[in-house]
Amino acid sequence: MAEKEKKYDRQLRLWGDHGQRDLENASVCLINVTATGTETLKNLILPGIGSFTIVDGGRISGQDAGNNFFLDPEKIGEYKSKVAMELLQELNPDVKGEYVEEDVSQLLERTPQFFTGFSVVISGSLTLTVLKKLAALLWPHKVPLVVCLSYGFLGYIRIAVEEHAVIESHPDNAHEDLRLDDPIEDFVKFCDSIDLESLDKKDHSHTPYLIILFKYLQTWKNDHNGQVPNTWKEKKQFKAAILAGVRKNAEGVPEDEENYDEAAKHVNTAFVPNKIPPELKAILDDHKCLNITDSSSNFWILANGLRQFVQNEGCGFLPLRGSLPDMTSDSERYVKLQNIYQAKAAHDMQIVSNYVSQACSSLGCGNGRVSERDLKRFCRNAHFLRVLRTRSLEEEYKQPSKAVIDEFTSDSNSDALWYVLWRAVEMFYTTHGKYPGIEDEELEMDVSRMKSFVKDLMKSWGIPGAIEAVSDDSLQEICRCGAAEIHSVAAYMGGVAAQECIKLITGQYVPVSGAYIYNGLKSTSLTLAV
Amino acid sequence: MEVDQPNEQSDASKWSGRWNHIKKVLERPSPFAHPDFEASSEILEFMQENCKLLVIGAGGLGCELLKDLTLNGFRHIHVIDMDIIDLSNLNRQFLFRQSDINKPKANVAAEFINKRVKGAQVVPHFCKIQDYDSAFYKQFHIVVCGLDSIIARRWINGMLISLLEYDDDGNLDQSSIIPLVDGGTEGFKGNARVILPGMTACIDCTLDLYPPQVTFPMCTVAHTPRQPEHCIEYVRMFGWEKEKPFGDIPIDGDNPEHITWICHAACKRADEYGIQGVTYRLTQGVIKRIIPAVASTNAVIAAACSTEIFKLATSCALPLNNYMVFNDVDGVYTYTFEAEKNDTCIACSQKPRNLTFAPKTLLRELIDHLCEDSTLQMKRPGITTTINGKNHTLYMKSIPSIEEATRPNLSKSLADLGLTDGQELIVADVTTPNAIVFRLKITESETKS
Amino acid sequence: MIKLFSLKQQKKDETSTGGKRKATAAQLRLTKDMNDLQLPKTCITKFPDPDDLLNFKLIISPDEGYYRGGRFSFSFKVGLNYPHEAPKVKCETMVYHPNIDLEGNVCLNILREDWKPVLTINAVIYGIQYLFLEPNPEDPLNKEAAEVLSTNKRQFEQNVNRSMRGGYVGNVYFEKCLIK
Repeated sequence: MAEKEKKYDRQLRLWGDHGQRDLENASVCLINVTATGTETLKNLILPGIGSFTIVDGGRISGQDAGNNFFLDPEKIGEYKSKVAMELLQELNPDVKGEYVEEDVSQLLERTPQFFTGFSVVISGSLTLTVLKKLAALLWPHKVPLVVCLSYGFLGYIRIAVEEHAVIESHPDNAHEDLRLDDPIEDFVKFCDSIDLESLDKKDHSHTPYLIILFKYLQTWKNDHNGQVPNTWKEKKQFKAAILAGVRKNAEGVPEDEENYDEAAKHVNTAFVPNKIPPELKAILDDHKCLNITDSSSNFWILANGLRQFVQNEGCGFLPLRGSLPDMTSDSERYVKLQNIYQAKAAHDMQIVSNYVSQACSSLGCGNGRVSERDLKRFCRNAHFLRVLRTRSLEEEYKQPSKAVIDEFTSDSNSDALWYVLWRAVEMFYTTHGKYPGIEDEELEMDVSRMKSFVKDLMKSWGIPGAIEAVSDDSLQEICRCGAAEIHSVAAYMGGVAAQECIKLITGQYVPVSGAYIYNGLKSTSLTLAV
Repeated sequence: MEVDQPNEQSDASKWSGRWNHIKKVLERPSPFAHPDFEASSEILEFMQENCKLLVIGAGGLGCELLKDLTLNGFRHIHVIDMDIIDLSNLNRQFLFRQSDINKPKANVAAEFINKRVKGAQVVPHFCKIQDYDSAFYKQFHIVVCGLDSIIARRWINGMLISLLEYDDDGNLDQSSIIPLVDGGTEGFKGNARVILPGMTACIDCTLDLYPPQVTFPMCTVAHTPRQPEHCIEYVRMFGWEKEKPFGDIPIDGDNPEHITWICHAACKRADEYGIQGVTYRLTQGVIKRIIPAVASTNAVIAAACSTEIFKLATSCALPLNNYMVFNDVDGVYTYTFEAEKNDTCIACSQKPRNLTFAPKTLLRELIDHLCEDSTLQMKRPGITTTINGKNHTLYMKSIPSIEEATRPNLSKSLADLGLTDGQELIVADVTTPNAIVFRLKITESETKS
Repeated sequence: MIKLFSLKQQKKDETSTGGKRKATAAQLRLTKDMNDLQLPKTCITKFPDPDDLLNFKLIISPDEGYYRGGRFSFSFKVGLNYPHEAPKVKCETMVYHPNIDLEGNVCLNILREDWKPVLTINAVIYGIQYLFLEPNPEDPLNKEAAEVLSTNKRQFEQNVNRSMRGGYVGNVYFEKCLIK
């Protein structure tokens, strides 16, 4: 175990032991061996996914072995699934690998339940007909589908998942939860026990900025009908008032008091009201939050408890996060402050816990269903909860999303263009049974064929004029590459796709909401809710 | 070294359809290609026969780079790394196995690639980049960096800038440019960039893009700790030296006994102050300044770099201009922008200027020239140089102890000082914001530049 | 737009030229920093090896304040990553000072958390000199000395004098560093 901890140390620092546990309990399935597909698996096997299965009925061609690190050219003619599984498995002895030498469409017919047991299903390359069938199978079983492919210098990832809840989204720049707009009782008491004037020089310059802010805020409110400084001008005045409190030496020159500087610096952020962010409000108002049943997931049961807290004891506020940023202070007062915040957080959490227990018992499901750890994680991250719902492939192919239309029609430089072209490539394949530009002789003809497919697509989307936005250059490029899978583009997409799978498996960090388009020609990319 | 077995090798490395994928983009014209791009089968030939690449670092990025580049069609690749393999590398450095622990990264990586990718001729160098001089670096068409060290990045950046050649009118000879492709990762974030030394922003132009090391105020660590990190830092800075728990040796972040001792001592200190959160993992993180790393981000960034190298070498598409950042914490986000060349960059802003003197010229005369020349008009120039890899101070007036030690140089001739044709002199003076590099031209004729 | 490679271009062979190792950015910057040094009269620098600008000593002999008459030596080590990283400075003279501990660690913000590449060796030297003129008891490294300074300035002065003459302050012995 200690060995394992060492081996995975660099990633445990990102998703923690519980994230690792989720990963090790997960199983993924790759359908059809492409370089993009095996690169994706590689980046799941290295961090220690529980198991993987490769389904592919095809045999290795010279071209397959040319761009794939996990297909041995000495085994040209053998089954791709078997060879790739063996070379991939060798990467990490902790991971179990399996393969199925059968065509996916047969398997879908014969044993569809084969696919529904996986944590995530990854599609390397599939014809549209089979892909739709697979997606329709997985959707009601709530198994996430990740489509990933590389096409010339372009890459495409599509995630289809009915619902995915994220407790730990690990935001990069989160606002601190300091509650100066609704101060904690013990915090007020602590502040009242400190008289800035009478402190000696050292204590004065080591009073945490939080206390300074609060004291000056009280004075300000007294002078301003209980209002906090709101406008830019008021904030400026407030800052000046704080800085006027800096001690001066015998010559009247202000001393260097970093804590006062910190207080002034935080004026802009500290008074942002602790409102519930709209995304979270939507979660709390979601029908799944309002109507929990014994088949609700833990996430919704917890969300229901959270909602009750906010409505009742919280008076519109979330449970306190309980963490404090570092600030200039002596150890004693900082630790005291920290304890006050932690105690309040624990108090709030207990209330949520009570609601959750009540809910569990009234639903007749066990009280031990939600662990203390999960509860704590949920409350600490309450502000950052996310629920992701993508459209199904069925919806996507029935009609384009508003996001697609908006993005594509409003910005002629948008990489949404390549999504449109990819859809036309699929139409091309469905009609001609091959990709455009595969054969040198038909290159020119394929360009004009592609153009008419794009026209058809635009017409079916109800924006026939948008054909103007599809340049001849882009059509030529999509045909020039002739469905080539350039290894380095595949490796890029394999990296992105693997991380999306890890997000889906661990419930940490936020997956792409729909599709991701990579444009290796310009090194740009775009996420699009398709 | 390499053993040439041309027949056997070409047999194993040639199979039908092998390069079908990349031939599509190399042998067909594209509207997105470089204007000079001429689609032909010669490009792949060039990649395989002539093009020589250098990969610096055989770690998280390096392993990926070697795979990506060889599968993209390159063959002649050198790789430098001074590190040996550690257990904690195995979660992402996919060319290494448990049985490779403690072996040199460069060697194991090269061996694996050469075995797996037929025809690949990766040459490993188990050493520091500083162990080689310009003669070594000159042989490459493109250099790619997968490093976590800013020092090493700046060093190779400076090296490639020093290889630039200018004609007498000060125009850059474009054939002397060796592009530098640089990648970096931290957790779920990364960046890839393309540097054309002398033409586009270099590492030193954009040094502020690299965050400085996190440091804590010393007095906080000593007397007002608030965070678990402060307690660990305290033991590192004060406790270790005071108590010498394992004798008079420095801390070894890879020695579990050392980390355990520091962790215990830090816990004790944390308890005294009522601070929570000192753990073994945190202790090791602080002591070793560990940067979190996952396979996926390394794969993405190395791949982005490899695609750029492919574009640079073949012109089949325009290279990145010139910086891309990547972040997949919340969705997947990239941002591509043109980092600006800094006109006062200490590394790349100046073309070396020529100074022509006879070998008999005295250093004093050279300094007089710097002060009297109407285009220079220096006040009290200080001059240093590098001879055979060693720094020398030729003269510096502003520091009395150095002035005294270097005063005898004033009446020595350039020849006696060991300065030969092509020698670079670094001259600092109050009249210029940066030190200026002069290239010394030594000729018998007495003409001054 | 440039064309980077003519396809047939062969790069020069490894052995064809004897290269001259060129200046690093750190060396360029340090040459500039050193040439620009303008020290107050109480400070001198000593370079044991004039060719090695990375390692030198600073000697401060304050002519006012608590420490007048003393002589304090600091070692400077400039790393290859200069100026991205601050120089490493240690006090080699044992000194009774709130911001310098008995191991020679110096608590000066610009040496650690507030270092910026635009700062120079000159700025660091001025910073250290300032510590001797205005010792700061609020952010101490030597807590005992700081407490005496903030509670009893006369006592502090006496302690400084005793330490500089050579002798015990509390149970710590200080070597003489007075120059007379």
